Amino acid sequence: MFSSDHDPNALSVRVNSARMPKFLNKHVRLPCKVLKLSGDTATVQASDGGEVNVHLLPNENITETYVEIIGKVVEPTMIQMLACINLGPDLDLKLVNDTIELIHDSRFYGKMFS
Amino acid sequence: MAFQLTAGSCERLDNATPSEEDVFNEPHTVQFLSIKKVNTVNASSSAVDRYRIIMSDGIHFIQAMLATQLNSMVQDNTIGKNTVAVIEKLTCNYVQEKRLIIILSLRVLAHSTEKIGEPKQVESPPDQATSVTPNTDTIQTSASPLSNVITKHSKPAEQVTSKDGRPSVYPIEGLSPYQNNWTIKARVTQKSDIKTWSNQRGEGKLFNVTLMDETGEIRATGFNLVVDELYPKLEEGKVYYISKARVNLAKKKFSNLANDYELSLERNTEVVECHETANVPMIKYSFVPLSALQDLAKDSVCDVIGVVKEVSALSEITSKATNRQIPKRELTLVDKSGFSVRLTLWGKQAEQYNAEDSPVIAFKGVKVGDFGGRSLSMFSSSTMHVNPHLEECFALRGWYDSSGAEQSFHAHSSAGGGASTMSFNRAEIRSLDDVKQSGFGLPDKPEYFSTRATIMHIKADNISYPACPTQNCNKKVVEDGGTWRCEKCEKSFEAPEHRYIMSLAVADASGQAWLQGFNEVGVTIFGKTANELIAIKESNSAQYNVLLHKANCNTYNFSCRAKQDTYNENTRIRYGISRIYPLDYKEEAMALRDLLYSSWAR
Repeated sequence: MFSSDHDPNALSVRVNSARMPKFLNKHVRLPCKVLKLSGDTATVQASDGGEVNVHLLPNENITETYVEIIGKVVEPTMIQMLACINLGPDLDLKLVNDTIELIHDSRFYGKMFS
Repeated sequence: MAFQLTAGSCERLDNATPSEEDVFNEPHTVQFLSIKKVNTVNASSSAVDRYRIIMSDGIHFIQAMLATQLNSMVQDNTIGKNTVAVIEKLTCNYVQEKRLIIILSLRVLAHSTEKIGEPKQVESPPDQATSVTPNTDTIQTSASPLSNVITKHSKPAEQVTSKDGRPSVYPIEGLSPYQNNWTIKARVTQKSDIKTWSNQRGEGKLFNVTLMDETGEIRATGFNLVVDELYPKLEEGKVYYISKARVNLAKKKFSNLANDYELSLERNTEVVECHETANVPMIKYSFVPLSALQDLAKDSVCDVIGVVKEVSALSEITSKATNRQIPKRELTLVDKSGFSVRLTLWGKQAEQYNAEDSPVIAFKGVKVGDFGGRSLSMFSSSTMHVNPHLEECFALRGWYDSSGAEQSFHAHSSAGGGASTMSFNRAEIRSLDDVKQSGFGLPDKPEYFSTRATIMHIKADNISYPACPTQNCNKKVVEDGGTWRCEKCEKSFEAPEHRYIMSLAVADASGQAWLQGFNEVGVTIFGKTANELIAIKESNSAQYNVLLHKANCNTYNFSCRAKQDTYNENTRIRYGISRIYPLDYKEEAMALRDLLYSSWAR
C-alpha cells in the first residue's frame, strides 16, 4: 500500500497518549474527548485515558464532545493542531483504543500503516 | 522389596455395610493375586470386558471387579499378577443382598513382586462366598445392559431365591423377550396422563410410566382395559414389584430412554406395592452445564439443573400437526457456568407451573433444540423437580442468592447452530465468492448463509408490484377497469398496496452476486414504502433518480437463502434475502476486534 518512500509528512498515524513520544515532530491523528477549552489551547483525553494538550488554530470550531485532532507532535504531551474532525457526542473510546493498539501491532504496522 | 499391605482391609471391606463410607474412601494397600477377564455379551453384540481381581491384604483375599474405565491398565500391563497397588477409591454395590466391590481408582506401587503373606479366603456367610465365584464367570446371553450402567454396576446378576419368600428380584437391565418368569422391583419415576386416540383402525386409550431400579430404566405402557386397572394403582414416586408383563422391542419413536426393550402391561400383569424402598434409587440425573449445551446435537436428550430467572406468561400456540391449541410457557434458566437458556413447558406442566420467585429446578429428559442457538423443550416423558434435595441444588441456591442474581448471562445466541433461524449470524458470515464456490443451494448443501455486501446496482425496471392490501395476502392484483382485483381474496380494491420486489447486484471484496429482495428490503434501502416511492416516481422523476442513487453503494448485512430453480432448461441458483440489517458500526467493529484478538489471528 503506502511505502515508506512517500513524503512522511503526508501520512498521519492514529495514536493514543502513550504512543505520542515516538512521533515527535511527526504528524499524527488523535481521537479524543474534549475535557476543557480555553482560548487557544484545549485539554483532551486520549483513547487510553492519558491527557494531552492541544494548541488550537484560531478559527477552528470544536463543537462536539468527541473529536479527532490532526496535528504535529511538538512535545510528548502537546500537539499543534492542523485540522480537526467532529465525531459526535458518542464514541466508544475503549474500542478506539483497541483499534489503535492493533494498528501499531508489529504484524500490521509496517505493512499497512507507514 | 517388601511392601506394607494394609492388613485387615479385606475383612473390613467384606463386612462393611452401605453406611460405612469411610472404609471405601480410605486408601488400601493390597496386592493383586490374580486378574481374570470376564466377558459380558449383550444383545447389541458388543463384548464388554470386565476384569475380576483377587486382592489380598496379606491376611485375607477377596474378590473385586475393576471399573471399566481402568481396563486399559490391565491391557497395557500397568497392573498384572502380584502387582502391589494402593486402592484410592472403591465402591460397593449391593445387588440382591450380595456385595460387589468395584475398584474405581488405584495407584501402582510395584509391579510383579512376590506374593506377600499367606492370604486366605475371608470368613463370610456361606451362601455369599460360594455364589459370588460362579456368578463372576457366568456369561450372560440375553441381557441388554445400558452401556452407562456397566461402569456403575459390575454385572447383570441372575435371579437367586432369597430368604423372605417373595420371588427375588430381577434387574431391569436383564429383562429381555426371552425370559418371562421375572419380577422387577422398581420405582415409578414418571407417569403420563391418560391419552386417547382415534384413527382408521379404531380408538382407545393408553398411559405409560417410566420404571427405574438401580440397574436401569424401562418404559411400560398399558392400553384400554389395563388403563382402568393399573392407572390408579401405579403412583409416581412409589416402588412396586411388577411381574408378568410382556417384554417387547422398544418403539424408539415414542420414548427417549436408552433401553432397547419396553414393557407392555397386560390384564394378567401383577403389580404389588413394595415398602422396602431402601435400595431402589430416586431419580438419577446426569446434569449438563448450560455452557456445554452447544456441544450437544440438536434433538438430543439431556438433564439440566438451574435457577429460574424468568417465567413468561402462559400462552397458546396452535399445533400445525393436530390443529389444536396447546398451552405453553417459557422459563429462562441460568446456572453457575454463566449461561442462560430458554426452556419450554407444554400442556399441563405449563398450566400448573406456579413456583414463586426463583426456584432451582432439576429437569430430566429434556430435548435440545437449536432455536436461537440452543433451547430446551419438555417431552411428555420429561420430568421436572422443584428444589430437589440434591447437592447441585444447594450449590446453585447458594451461588444464586449470593452473586448469581446480579450476574449477566450469555444467552445461547445464534453464534453456532443458529443457521436455520432467520437471525444474522456473524460468526458464520461468508464472502460471496465462498458462497458460490461452496455451492450453497445445491441439493445436499446448506441453504442459509449470512454475508455482508454493498449494493452496486438496483435493477430499475421492476421495483415493485401492485399487491392486495389485505393483511398477509400479498398476491398480485390485476387492474380491471379502474379497480384492482385480488384472485385469492376475491375482492376488488380502489388502489393497490405496492410492495417491493427487486433484484440487487451486490458485491464484496471477493465477488459479486444477484440477490432478490421483497418489501422489507426495499423499505430498508430506500427508507420509504413502495407506495411512496411510486408516487414520487410519477410526480418527480428527478427526485426519484436521486433516491435510487442514494440507495446505491450502501453496505448491509444480509441473511440469505439459496435455492435452485429450473425453468425452461436453465437451472440457476437464486439467492433470496430473508433479512436485511443496516450496519451498526460499533457492533461490527467490536466483532472485528474480537476476531483479531482471537486465536485465529495469532
